[in-house]
Amino acid sequence: MDPVKITIDGKEVVTTKGKTVIQAAAEAGVAIPHYCYHPKLSIAGNCRMCMVEIEKMPKLQIACNTQVAEGMSVLTQSPKVVAVRKAVLEFLLINHPVDCPICDQAGECQLQNYYMEHDREASRLEVGKIHDRKKTIFGPNVVFDGERCIKCTRCVRFCQEITKTNELAVINRGDHSTISLFDDAVLDNPLSANVVDICPVGALTDRDFRFKVRVWYLDKTPSICPGCSTGCNISVEAYQNKIARFKPRQNEAVNSHWICDEGRYSFHDLAGGERLTTPMIRQEGGLVPVSWEGALQAVVNGLRGSQPLAGILSGRNTNEEAYLFAKLLRQLASYCSMEVFYRERPLTDVQKILMSPDRSPNFRGARDMGVSSSGGFAGLMQELAGNNFSSAFIVGEDLLGANGDSDKVRSALQKLSFLVVQDTKLTETAKLAHVVLPAAHFGEKEGTYTNRQGRVQKLNAAVICPEGARQDSEIFLDLLEGAGQKLDYSNPSDIFAALSREVIAYNGLNYDSIGDQGCELGSGGGAAS
Amino acid sequence: MEKVLLRNIGVPDSHTLAAYKSRGGYGSWQKVVQSMKPEQLIEEVKASGLRGRGGAGFPTGMKWSFVPKDNPKPKYVVCNADESEPGTFKDRLLIEQDPHAVVEGTLISAFAIGSHTAFIYIRGEMVFGAKRLEQAVAEASQAGLIGKNIFGSGYDLDLIVHRGAGAYICGEETGLLSSLEGGRGWPKVKPPFPATHGLFGCPTVVNNVETLATLPWIIERGAAAYSAMGTEKSKGTKLFSVSGHIARPGVYEVEMGYPFKKFLEEDCGGVPDGRKLKGVIPGGGSMPVLLPDEIDKVYLDYESVQAAGSLLGSGGVIVMDETTCMVRAALNLSRFFAHESCGQCSPCREGCHWMEKLLHRIEYGQGEQGDLDLILNVAGNIAGNTICPFGDAAAWPPGAFIRKFRGEFEAHVAEKRCTVGH
Repeated sequence: MDPVKITIDGKEVVTTKGKTVIQAAAEAGVAIPHYCYHPKLSIAGNCRMCMVEIEKMPKLQIACNTQVAEGMSVLTQSPKVVAVRKAVLEFLLINHPVDCPICDQAGECQLQNYYMEHDREASRLEVGKIHDRKKTIFGPNVVFDGERCIKCTRCVRFCQEITKTNELAVINRGDHSTISLFDDAVLDNPLSANVVDICPVGALTDRDFRFKVRVWYLDKTPSICPGCSTGCNISVEAYQNKIARFKPRQNEAVNSHWICDEGRYSFHDLAGGERLTTPMIRQEGGLVPVSWEGALQAVVNGLRGSQPLAGILSGRNTNEEAYLFAKLLRQLASYCSMEVFYRERPLTDVQKILMSPDRSPNFRGARDMGVSSSGGFAGLMQELAGNNFSSAFIVGEDLLGANGDSDKVRSALQKLSFLVVQDTKLTETAKLAHVVLPAAHFGEKEGTYTNRQGRVQKLNAAVICPEGARQDSEIFLDLLEGAGQKLDYSNPSDIFAALSREVIAYNGLNYDSIGDQGCELGSGGGAAS
Repeated sequence: MEKVLLRNIGVPDSHTLAAYKSRGGYGSWQKVVQSMKPEQLIEEVKASGLRGRGGAGFPTGMKWSFVPKDNPKPKYVVCNADESEPGTFKDRLLIEQDPHAVVEGTLISAFAIGSHTAFIYIRGEMVFGAKRLEQAVAEASQAGLIGKNIFGSGYDLDLIVHRGAGAYICGEETGLLSSLEGGRGWPKVKPPFPATHGLFGCPTVVNNVETLATLPWIIERGAAAYSAMGTEKSKGTKLFSVSGHIARPGVYEVEMGYPFKKFLEEDCGGVPDGRKLKGVIPGGGSMPVLLPDEIDKVYLDYESVQAAGSLLGSGGVIVMDETTCMVRAALNLSRFFAHESCGQCSPCREGCHWMEKLLHRIEYGQGEQGDLDLILNVAGNIAGNTICPFGDAAAWPPGAFIRKFRGEFEAHVAEKRCTVGH
């Protein structure tokens, strides 16, 4: 890491050998406009937007492909640079339809942004625009508009270099150049929708999201993907208290700039559908609504009275919730066994770029909190199917889902003398319960997840849970109180403080310093400390 | 003047190994392999003053010397036979009539940089030329001039003829390399340069056909004999392909520094039918046009043509007499460049066709006041701002035509018609 001293617009900047001008400038807080450059893709140098003036070089140079050199003097705002940016923007816009009002990219479009910053001129083209394919389906999640495309080739390079699936190519020549699928190819790789994120313009849009919300109405909340234990950092973007989309949030320690398609669209299943908004209790003829007070009392009584007790917690519950759940079960039953829901499926090589084999983003953290048993989740399920338990408390998972031997599990659950299910929806499992407690989903709660690698990351509430449903932590705290253990803390930050004192691996971690990038277990604190 | 490049043209069966050898062919190759070290060879060619004949005029020996000697990767030499510059057909003559000279030159270049695999990348449309080269390579291989242990020296060299698919941009050396790698013929962003990161990321030299065909003569007769010809900075001889309104069009070999006017009037027979000269493009379609009074003082060497405001380029001389509509000429060239722009970088992709459309409407009576300045402005915004020199090549002709024939362009706009009789 040899230091190199350069000046950018007269300001001295110390950077390191091997860096490019665009990188050195970004580090120094100077944003050089660009389209084709992406820090995680190869240098294409085709948009010509990042041209800068470098002392002693006769021609302007592209900042993305020019390495810094000792004493180099870079101008990013000289008259020549400003003029060429204007010229490049004009070239990019002459054949662009400028149909911003009906373009889904409007509001987050780099053509719009740079036009406002660098051009603001009327079009000088009077001789007719080139036409290209409109709304061309590239794959299940991505649609292409050739007329809005600026041929930066980020999408092509993404499929060549990141997924190595090579679905896309540039075809034709000159101003008839356009992006195309290869014959018989479909852009359906497990990371396909990332091309929408890296498309700087409205050429590639998300089939799931487009035309649902104008992006400037979105409320954006930094959070963690609930899809699996990779723990990709995301922005949960909501409109009118409904999650509208996930976008990746850069974290070089976890997911870089990407998320997988499965995670990206996981909110539909997790947050959609009809919600439970009232506790229910089983009476003759089925489940009937009951007050929270009545339901909680019934749970405490029911679980206390029928041991051994099995506890199954969702892998989407936070560390704070897991910590309380473990406490609660130990308080309720001296003979109990608990585990975090965990199932693996095989992954392809492309899936392995980001995805973990499970669908339990916090299985590691929840087990750290004590929600664990010697036989693991599979062992617990075997015991459950073998009718070794008299009661069960199942949180946030439908054990009668599509996979597994659900007939066996169903008959075992039916044989239990007491079953509590706490979930967001009336699942098949919930239908068998003696008490059903309506809870909040991942997007409605605050707390922490610990990913597969042991990185503690923060979940934030992006939407508010419906009236009648309650946070899992609140429910556990009330049950604890009902079981005779009143705790003097209730919010996630205080629960985290308690667990970080108690759980050795979390000793010294501070909730507030976890920040938006998370911190590693054993690091003694967040990135900031 | 002694002919260097055209010395075998016109000899019966000049394309065969037997005819080539009977005139001393492959003697230089034998001399190089058996008695010279690569460094010696590079020095010899440096001393000859030979400059690249593809258009840029870069010193050949120096280009070779940029190839790193300690790089463990394979090294490649590519003969650029993708001749497609408008008005240029000199390489084609050598390829078809003297293919062994091209082959021998390519082998010598490969030896100079220590390459064991060389390519001849030939323009797809030149089917006949490709066949001639393939025959020549087959004959030379059969004779042991190419292949393993050449002349018992232990030196191995393969030569592969590869046909392009018909794109002007594949004559640009890095576009050629992309195409040869099996990819889209897109020029590469530089740096790095081919000398260190060329074909398949390996050190590579790309030399033009004419450049390579000069090498056997230089080795045979010595650098001094070659540099004795020409001017101080432009040594030796050069081929010119002359076309257009000229009495004797064709390929000519001329000593560098030969007077341009004398060349056109005496060697090529001047403009026929008593018509007057209106303009000449000296170095292929991408080079700025010169006016008759400008060529009076011009000599056929790199420096003199450049001093006159154009470039010697490929030596494609396009002669236009007084019946030529200069708007139409500019449009014709602009159409070519708009069609051939690879589309990779924004200014060239979007700008070339825009200029063509503007020229088109001027020629067809729909030009507007301001169109001329707009074309000049668009040309200026392309030139110098692109990945490869194509942007300059496309921007220069319309700019030069408008500046030098402004009155004619303005008349087209003012009278809303072509004023030269089309």
